[in-house]
Amino acid sequence: MVDALRRAHEIVTPGGLVVDLHPTTAVASVEVGAHSTGRVDGGDAPLRHAAAGAALATVLDAGLFAVDRAVEFTFYTYGDTIEELRDYIEENWRNSRIDETVVRRTRDALRDAPGTRPRVREQVRITKLHPIALADG
Amino acid sequence: MPIEEDPEGYEIAALDGLVSFASRRVLEIGCGDGRMTRRYARSARSVIAIDPDGEAIAELARELPTVDARAIAVDELLLPAQSVDLVLFAWSL
Repeated sequence: MVDALRRAHEIVTPGGLVVDLHPTTAVASVEVGAHSTGRVDGGDAPLRHAAAGAALATVLDAGLFAVDRAVEFTFYTYGDTIEELRDYIEENWRNSRIDETVVRRTRDALRDAPGTRPRVREQVRITKLHPIALADG
Repeated sequence: MPIEEDPEGYEIAALDGLVSFASRRVLEIGCGDGRMTRRYARSARSVIAIDPDGEAIAELARELPTVDARAIAVDELLLPAQSVDLVLFAWSL
């Protein structure tokens, strides 16, 4: 991760920008409407997301970049059914799953909220960085 | 309806609030199938989008032929120094 950021520093123009988006360490959750029905078992995801933050901190400490701004937003993934969401997460997210207890709880919540699509909620951070020119020599 | 990611557009709204892609030479690292790429590619001056997933890159290349889509990892990327205006790490760090 640090190597990729160092490479970005080489490739970008001095007046250019580097922008990173990655989920925060907050655990992703399953929702029906605004109600959480449980967590996504993300395996080592919080550790990986923390490592991304640590990589950014490393290049900032090294004086390669300065933070211009950072913002967080919520990212939702919707399915027609909880089973569809469960299968999607298992196939497309690394080492992640929605366990059967959460599936059952979501099914029950959907029964009480006809027309609502289940969703997975993630919190994502965007950081805008300016490259800092390295001193010669 | 299939799986839908960010139908509210919160991601691109947050991104648009921070940066403008207009007239910039963009390098997107970890573009996947171009979910984000297709949202800004038309306004950028040029886009190089890389991802090690060959199938995803093929899909992106079919849909956005003006994008220079490459099925490579960042350590395989050959680009001159100071040759792009914006590097975007799209959920790829």
